Amino acid sequence: MSQGQRWNRRQALRRACAAASGLLAAPLVVKANVLGLADSVAPSERITLGFIGVGMMGRGHVHHLLEYAQTQILAVCDVDRWRRDDAKNTVEQGYASQAASGQYKGCSAYNDLRDLLARPDIDAVVIATGDRWHALATILAAKAGKDVYCEKPVSLTICENLAMMEHIDRYGRIFQAGLQQRSTPEFMRACELVQKGRIGQVRNVYVTSPGTCYDVNFAPEPVPDTLDWDLWLGPAPWRPFNRVFHHVGPPKFVVPWHVCPDFGGGNLTSNAVHAFDVVQWGLGMDESGPVEITPPETGKVPLLTYKYANDTLLQVTPRLDPSHHTIPPGWDANTPIQVFGALFVGDSGWIHVGRQGFLEAYPREILAETPASTEPDRPVTNHHLNWLSCIRTRERSACSVSAGCRSTIVAQLGCIAHWTQRSLQWNPEKFEFVGDVEANLMRQRTMREPWTV
Amino acid sequence: MFRTTICLAVALGGWCGCGAWADEATDKAFAVLKGYDWGQDRAALQPIEAAIAASRSDGAARKALEQRLAEVLPTQAPQAAKDFVCRQLSLIGTAECVPALEPLLLDEKLGHMARYALERIPDDAALQALRTALPKASGLRKVGIVNSLGVRRDVSSVAALVSLLADTDAQMAAAAAGALGKIGNADAAKALGEFLAKGPEALRLAAADASLVCAERLLADGKKAEALAIYKTLSKPEMPKHVQVAAVRGQVAALGQKK
Repeated sequence: MSQGQRWNRRQALRRACAAASGLLAAPLVVKANVLGLADSVAPSERITLGFIGVGMMGRGHVHHLLEYAQTQILAVCDVDRWRRDDAKNTVEQGYASQAASGQYKGCSAYNDLRDLLARPDIDAVVIATGDRWHALATILAAKAGKDVYCEKPVSLTICENLAMMEHIDRYGRIFQAGLQQRSTPEFMRACELVQKGRIGQVRNVYVTSPGTCYDVNFAPEPVPDTLDWDLWLGPAPWRPFNRVFHHVGPPKFVVPWHVCPDFGGGNLTSNAVHAFDVVQWGLGMDESGPVEITPPETGKVPLLTYKYANDTLLQVTPRLDPSHHTIPPGWDANTPIQVFGALFVGDSGWIHVGRQGFLEAYPREILAETPASTEPDRPVTNHHLNWLSCIRTRERSACSVSAGCRSTIVAQLGCIAHWTQRSLQWNPEKFEFVGDVEANLMRQRTMREPWTV
Repeated sequence: MFRTTICLAVALGGWCGCGAWADEATDKAFAVLKGYDWGQDRAALQPIEAAIAASRSDGAARKALEQRLAEVLPTQAPQAAKDFVCRQLSLIGTAECVPALEPLLLDEKLGHMARYALERIPDDAALQALRTALPKASGLRKVGIVNSLGVRRDVSSVAALVSLLADTDAQMAAAAAGALGKIGNADAAKALGEFLAKGPEALRLAAADASLVCAERLLADGKKAEALAIYKTLSKPEMPKHVQVAAVRGQVAALGQKK
């Protein structure tokens, strides 16, 4: 097959999944040879992959990882038969188009992740299930000796993060959290400048996508024949099927289940977590976190507000409101905070970063500084390739398990503050609330049998 | 809307002292709870949650709420109602509600939610309920109880869990191994060592994983020699490669430990 044909196929695949990618905001797809990676890799040298969860996000990952000559997708898994068959067909058609024979049959489809993880020929897995499965699937994968790419938020509860970190560390696995802004130039630049003190001491950080979820009780509906509802629920408490949680067949929405606390944490864990990751990174808090969380329900603050030990405040708000925010010089109060991005405000200026290359600063001269050079052998603008590279080198990935868990915890702390309706003190070293028994109980939930971590 | 209701109830409850208005709303919610089923308006139960939030610093009120919730469990109330009760008791439950939760451990539909509450109740009575239910339970309910005893790191259950390593149900034996690993004392380590050596090949990975966890627990308790012995076994060439890696990492950590 010529390069032109191959590129056309890739473009077609990309167009097909572009709409579905949605929030994935997938890493820019750059041809492997452009990145200096061999376009043909001996089968024995390829990283073999399995996919757990091939809904909207998982399908996007399949399409992107199908691009690389250094990987071979051996299996897909989903509790929705249509989705796993569709993903299997996508993989086999993708490889068939590259084969001299024009045919390929080599991708298995599983209903149960345990069957996929039992395969010794799979090196690594991409986990893109619902949040309720993220930690458990990661831990099962680590126990099976697989490296992991896991969608965000990487867990459902605070204690799941601890178990994930323990298991990934115990088995020395490479873990990449699906917080892909870590591999995106504008975010790298923004965080570098913040960390270098170019806006002085950071006093306030603003991110958007507020709100958690509260218990729901949808009417029972018949479980579709093509869906394994018990395995869909997995470790979550049993409740009857309703199409709000899962649309059988092609996914219609990214995270439809995040309206229910058994399955997600609403906007904070589904969307704001990307922004929290940027905040943690920019503030140099990858091994720590905020120490106080105050929700608006207390009446003490108008917005969900976090405080770090150095008194830096983090607020979740769509825009700055002159009635309760100090508008920094050079900032137009009508400007919305970038979704998934962050506004860092320091003593001597501000930096506002968002997706699609959005990067603004005041004073503007801050951005004139030449950015730090990137290592030529690290494909930093591609989160997947960073993961694959780290699988080979065994180096720390762009968003390691501890960084991914810490950012996820920020979102989970916000949920618990909303749920308890009180200001909470958090000890980020001990991973526990200070003097609040109930809040501490909310760090962990009992998994439905047979699951446990 | 729900949040507004809660905040209003909390505010009024605090303002009125005992809160007659809140009591009336709470009574009505408890009346709904008796017949609460899947698909019903969730907002109807919000006053109970508001009353619980308002009673945070009122021990007597909270105790009364706990009692009222527990009283629903032995009734013919629908599963959804008991599910709601277990969720609330997981946050405010004490030894007082354990007798109402204990029978549910053997219930096919509610066994998990009973554990959901009991696992979080710190009182030893909750642990005792899990221990008592263990020999009576079967199948997945029993696996769940084993898991909970592991999460609670119940040393008193070690003997019972060791006997389950020989269970013909692989899922049960694997769960018992996992629980013993989490408990991580000398008796658990000994049993896991034998299970690793003589247990079924299909459970070797589960045995190895549990042994690794056990070694970490022993190390944390200052039992370095015992931990190193486990790591030595697990670093042998016949072990899966990633287990060997984990064992070597464990050895390095143990040897780097000062005491």
